[in-house]
Amino acid sequence: MKKIAVLIEIRDGKLKPSNLGVCSAAHESGGECIAFLLEGNAADAAATLQEYGIEKVVEIFTTHGAASWNPEVWAEAIIQAMVYYEIHALLGLASMQGKDLLARVAARLEAPLLMDCIAVNLVRHTAKKSQFSGKAIAEFKTCGDYHVYGIRPNALTAVPAPCRAAVESFKASTGSPGLSVKNLQPGLANDIDLTEANVIISGGRGMENGDNFNLLHACAQTISAAVGASRAAVDAGWVSHALQVGQTGKTVSPKVYIACGISGSVQHFAGMKTAGIIIAINKDPHAAIMSKCDYAVCANLFDIVPALTRKLRKPHKGSK
Amino acid sequence: MNIYVCVKHVPDTAATIRVGADYRIDEDITFIMNPYDENAVEEAVRLKKRMAGAEVIAVTLGKAAAEATLRSALAMGADRAILVRSDKHHDCITTAGALCAAIRQDGNPDLIFTGRESIDAEGFQTMYRMGVNLGIPVASNVIAFDMDGQRVSVISEMEAGEHACLEMTTPCIIGAGKGLNQPSYPKLPDILQARKKTITVIDEEQSGTHSSASRVETVILEIASEERQPEALEGSAEEIADAIVGILRNEAKVLMNS
Amino acid sequence: MTKKYDAIIIGAGVIGCPIAYELAKMGYKTLTVDKLSDAGEGSTAASCAIVRAHYSTVDGVAMAYEGFKYWLDWKKYLDNVEDEKGLAKYMNTGSILIKSQGHDWRKVQSNYDAVGVTYEEWDVDKIKEKVPVYDMHEFWPVKRPEDPDFFNEPTKMLEGAIFCPEGGYMSDPALSAHNIMRAAEAKGSEFIFNAEVVAVRSENNQVLGITLKDGTDIDAPVVVNVAGPHSYKINQMAAGVYEECNIKTKALRHEVMHCPAPEGYDYLKDGYHTSDGDVGCYYRPEVGNMFLIGSEDPECDPQEWVDPDVFYAGKETYVRNNQLTVEQWNAQTYRCARRVSDMAIPNQPRGVCDLYDCSDDWIPIYDKSSMQGFYMAIGSSGNQYKNAPVAGSMMAELIDKCEKGYDHDKEPLQYTLPHIGRKIDVGFFSRNREINYNSSFSVNG
Repeated sequence: MKKIAVLIEIRDGKLKPSNLGVCSAAHESGGECIAFLLEGNAADAAATLQEYGIEKVVEIFTTHGAASWNPEVWAEAIIQAMVYYEIHALLGLASMQGKDLLARVAARLEAPLLMDCIAVNLVRHTAKKSQFSGKAIAEFKTCGDYHVYGIRPNALTAVPAPCRAAVESFKASTGSPGLSVKNLQPGLANDIDLTEANVIISGGRGMENGDNFNLLHACAQTISAAVGASRAAVDAGWVSHALQVGQTGKTVSPKVYIACGISGSVQHFAGMKTAGIIIAINKDPHAAIMSKCDYAVCANLFDIVPALTRKLRKPHKGSK
Repeated sequence: MNIYVCVKHVPDTAATIRVGADYRIDEDITFIMNPYDENAVEEAVRLKKRMAGAEVIAVTLGKAAAEATLRSALAMGADRAILVRSDKHHDCITTAGALCAAIRQDGNPDLIFTGRESIDAEGFQTMYRMGVNLGIPVASNVIAFDMDGQRVSVISEMEAGEHACLEMTTPCIIGAGKGLNQPSYPKLPDILQARKKTITVIDEEQSGTHSSASRVETVILEIASEERQPEALEGSAEEIADAIVGILRNEAKVLMNS
Repeated sequence: MTKKYDAIIIGAGVIGCPIAYELAKMGYKTLTVDKLSDAGEGSTAASCAIVRAHYSTVDGVAMAYEGFKYWLDWKKYLDNVEDEKGLAKYMNTGSILIKSQGHDWRKVQSNYDAVGVTYEEWDVDKIKEKVPVYDMHEFWPVKRPEDPDFFNEPTKMLEGAIFCPEGGYMSDPALSAHNIMRAAEAKGSEFIFNAEVVAVRSENNQVLGITLKDGTDIDAPVVVNVAGPHSYKINQMAAGVYEECNIKTKALRHEVMHCPAPEGYDYLKDGYHTSDGDVGCYYRPEVGNMFLIGSEDPECDPQEWVDPDVFYAGKETYVRNNQLTVEQWNAQTYRCARRVSDMAIPNQPRGVCDLYDCSDDWIPIYDKSSMQGFYMAIGSSGNQYKNAPVAGSMMAELIDKCEKGYDHDKEPLQYTLPHIGRKIDVGFFSRNREINYNSSFSVNG
């Protein structure tokens, strides 16, 4: 029986929810599914992961200790664990960390890698991913002894598949890396990871200035949503590039994307077209986004957003 | 000091993509230098200006038409360029192999700059494979770069505003992020000068192909459907806000009931 | 059910809207139809919206000069109508016409004198003082960058320029058409959108009305073709009209480039609209401190005549035709950069690609037709934006007179420009004229 490993990502000590969709994809293949954990509490993680088809949680330690994040050390440790556990396919999130780590693993193994997949089939070794900034979708087949896939966060649905996960630890013996990590500066406390967020509220040219983004932050805070921005807003200097969604910014796949005062250029769509539900709030009924969304609100965002914030602040009631 | 910059000739972000036979795109569209590679060229040229005797060499793998992107790199300040010519379709494994072979053949790299991703294939891996191929460290999504002797310090942008400060020694590979710099585009005299700079064309076979048991095959390539049927939400601001709350709760199920 | 109007205007662009507006003011019940979703969304939206007075003909200059009066007091022209989208803004930069072999500027100057246009003559020193980023060498003749001579070192200096303090551009051309639509609506005019005309119906050489793609018939004794790049297609729908016209129109593909201004130069604040025949370009400031660079259609450039339906369909279904080409990007930006040598040229082409509705001699047709009740305001050739309000008023008068029995073909209407008081011969814009060889045969008109 083929074995599959899922590289689990932890943020602020907690399991990122988007890991679960990746676990489901692994479980679907019918092979034995092992979770690789580089940080965080293994017992806690196992309690959640076993609900999604993970049969074993392997806590990986390196010669350098668990706490010191170094992608080269980690890549080496993951490869040792893959060999030890006879893993032939490695899955992980195509987050910033995943894009770096999975690529290092694949490069060292000279394994084929498909990054930012929106569908994966581990029996046929095929995966679908965007090409040409989301204008095309390709299905690729990977050929080789190992297969590595990075999954776009939230692109795959988590399907419960309860089982019991054993916890093991694996001690890798890692050499000295060519890359040293001097320090890690955390992001601002209120920053919700854009690629991980269930709901993103984004602002564009229609925000008129940087201060008005506070309206979006206030609204986002009520439901732990992340705030994003279009290139126009970033270029105008209203918000940092870290918030940019689109071709030269982040690619996101939230359950709900609320676009406020964003016209919806091709380049912007490249970054958010796989969102579950797109709600567009725009004064201009002819803005491109108004015909490419699920819900079009032709109104002044400065009326709608504060009203929405007020509604969301109230304790949510069961009824509509 | 030899500073190599790997660039890619990619369809313009504004270009409309059509898929033809063999799942290849119709290339009768406007091509540009991969936008992230512009940041890579810019940083290489800035570094060269600080380092006496440094040379910036732009390298690409592609068809004859990719020369245009090399000319752009030359106009931005690269000294010369290498075109590894190939009409074949390459996956990231063979691309990295071909680029490394061309660089090895040309000289000993001290630094290799490239963009953190290509906007056409979106592979996110070529530089890492080059790193393994050449046995040198790689840092990607770099938004700040500094060099002191052989010591290279960079800041790499991580999730949600998180930054990592990394150190390496040369030779090493830097994957440029958008925040690294603001590319200064060439002026007409630079473009004129670039026309006189040398582009060495080598055949992919000459440079020594990289064979591997691993590969990626295209099964299908199709235009992404953008079909959504917009439903208008109308009414007062209060009514619309209620409707959005309803969507968040009942359709998207992203509100925890409290 | 058939709807009935006094006049139907085909095309809600920047010329169609003023015709509707002026007719409405005269008491006509008008309906304007457009196949797109809003006013000014067609080729008007892509217009550079330049307002300048220099034309190669006296009447051309007079009409453009008259046009200023409308743009300068836009609110008044619109009769203080409110537009929920806001009002378009006229940006008066002043307008420089470089004295070069590329323009018959002496003729322009004598036209200015004849009409009474205010202007100054600037020598090279004065230009350098006003626009330090301009290199005033002569680069003539206009070439393409593929030409080995393109990069030749210039040896001669240009003579100078004619400067009109009145001149500039409208900030948002689509919005300007939208503004006029709202003004027309305030006078009782109606507009319908997403309404494509498929037939112009007539009987016994009298126009009866139009048929829309969805099968709706709309009747009116007057139908005006203001269909922009589709104008020839509409003329072909009206029995005998296309064949009858001596001057024909067709759609010409055209690219306009956006390039960042040299570092440290606030082009948006300090720049001038400039017509530069020496390098075959015109340029004006654009939002984001950009140079907006248009082509004056030099002979060395290929002209690409296209079917407008195919071209505009490309905007939805991936045809190359409506995307900027590297070749033309290089041609226009490099030419402009000969004058503005510190201008940075991005690797990625940025700008607009759209169509001109171009007549055989690049002079528009403002005329009736041999079909009773069928009129045309077509062939704007990329140079009539500035004349739109004047054209609206002139066309309305022509239509009203002809409907009351005036024979414009026999004795061409003399239209008095209300602001500058000068009469112009509307016969100048006749469909039946011989090709006017006084024209520049370019966007300069």
